[in-house]
Amino acid sequence: MPSFTLLAQSVLSGIFIGALYGLLGLGLSLTWGMLRQINLAHFALAFLGAYLTFQLTHGAGWDPLATLLVVVPCFFLLGASMHWLFARFAITPFNSLLVTFGLTVIVESLIQWIWTADQRLMDSAYGAVRFKLGALYVPLPELLTLVLAVALSLAAWAGLRYTDLGRAMRAAAEDAPIAAAFGVNERSLSLLLSGISAAFAGVAGLCIALSFTLAPSQIYAWIGVVFAVVMIGGLGNPIGPLVAGIVIGISESLTMALTSPAWAPLVSFSLLIVVLLARAKKI
Amino acid sequence: MLELDRIQVSYGAAPALWEVSLAIGAGELVCVVGPNGAGKTTLINAIAGLNRVRNGRITMDGRDLTSLAPHCYCDEGIAIVPESRRLFTGMTVLENLELGSYRLAARPGRAQSVERVLNVFPALRERLHAAAGTLSGGQQQMVAIGRALMAKPRLLLLDEPSLGLAPSIVLEMFEVIRDINAGGVAVLLVEQNVAMALEVATRAYVLEEGRIAGEGAPSALLATPHIRRAYLGER
Repeated sequence: MPSFTLLAQSVLSGIFIGALYGLLGLGLSLTWGMLRQINLAHFALAFLGAYLTFQLTHGAGWDPLATLLVVVPCFFLLGASMHWLFARFAITPFNSLLVTFGLTVIVESLIQWIWTADQRLMDSAYGAVRFKLGALYVPLPELLTLVLAVALSLAAWAGLRYTDLGRAMRAAAEDAPIAAAFGVNERSLSLLLSGISAAFAGVAGLCIALSFTLAPSQIYAWIGVVFAVVMIGGLGNPIGPLVAGIVIGISESLTMALTSPAWAPLVSFSLLIVVLLARAKKI
Repeated sequence: MLELDRIQVSYGAAPALWEVSLAIGAGELVCVVGPNGAGKTTLINAIAGLNRVRNGRITMDGRDLTSLAPHCYCDEGIAIVPESRRLFTGMTVLENLELGSYRLAARPGRAQSVERVLNVFPALRERLHAAAGTLSGGQQQMVAIGRALMAKPRLLLLDEPSLGLAPSIVLEMFEVIRDINAGGVAVLLVEQNVAMALEVATRAYVLEEGRIAGEGAPSALLATPHIRRAYLGER
């Protein structure tokens, strides 16, 4: 049996990786739940963001947080234009999966072409900083990820709940024609939501660049677990991915500490199946 | 105020309305009666911008609406209480009402508008923060009417407001509709409950198989043997 400190450290690192799952899942869940588009390219966008952060920090010497000033607006425009194209060609939910898979491969090749397939590690002022909390280590990059994930999830939740635009988005997601009869311009709201989701991917990219070694093939590493997180959290629910992400993160890292890393995916997908079964009964 | 000039609406290749012309003056309460499948819902949805008009023109005070995007119709002061209510069931009652006042012209004085709706439908007061989907049928109809009132309409479109409601609530609904109209809002009412509709209306149209088959004062229509046979169950 591992020591208490080791278990507590595992729980903590589970919370941190879970926050990243939640942050990656947030944008995916919003576009999936509210626009009925399954955007696989969300992961590729996050890595594109990570590489851009790497480039600006490593190459141009920026502070990693300052890169958000460039990445967020660029990704907002990128996400909005992607959605404009999807709407222009009337892409169905299932086809969106195929098209965005294609986009993912294109972005992967692009990354490989620009930054090669070598592993890249970003040196930044934040990378090596870690606090000590009792017997536990708290690395600054991971803590930053948690803070950003919580802040963005809460912001998305509040925006959807308390602003006219957010409510209009929810209304349009449920019954677009009736929402339009009350003045909701679904088309421009969809562009806005897609832009915001892509900007979230950009922020997730920053977090990835801060905490992980970058390689183009890493794009595919988290797709499975983040899809599980999105489905457990509930499609279109802005808080769900974060909560589900942290639950899965903790259970994964405890599994790794108690048994072996190979068992970790089993835990996340068993959880997914249990939750889906439980939810099916409610319907 | 509202004028329909020979409009045609089709679903795919199948025409649902043929050259329907109709007019509603300011403050009128006009009802459209007709059998199931005559195109009543199609007609009301076309006026709300929910259906594309293929031919003909819809004008509001002379302004052509036909080429507008669907979300622009409400800016002309048109609000709809759609068939089977179509509330945003996952949102609260208050959120449904406030969405009704989404158009910019309806946003000022939103709190007063909510208060006005609650005075018309006091039963909604305790349910304001409940999800709209959890309400009873009658209460949902109240929310649907309230949502439309929130838009501060000049023309209120009501599609079968009595459908699926208990008789006592139906009476209350007609009372409310009459009051709304008395407050200066023009009303276009589509109803299966022909006797009730003709009682409150100032003028009525008969819609049959996508065409206007008759028009006039309710008393005149009620005197027509065809109407009495077809809609009031007389032999």
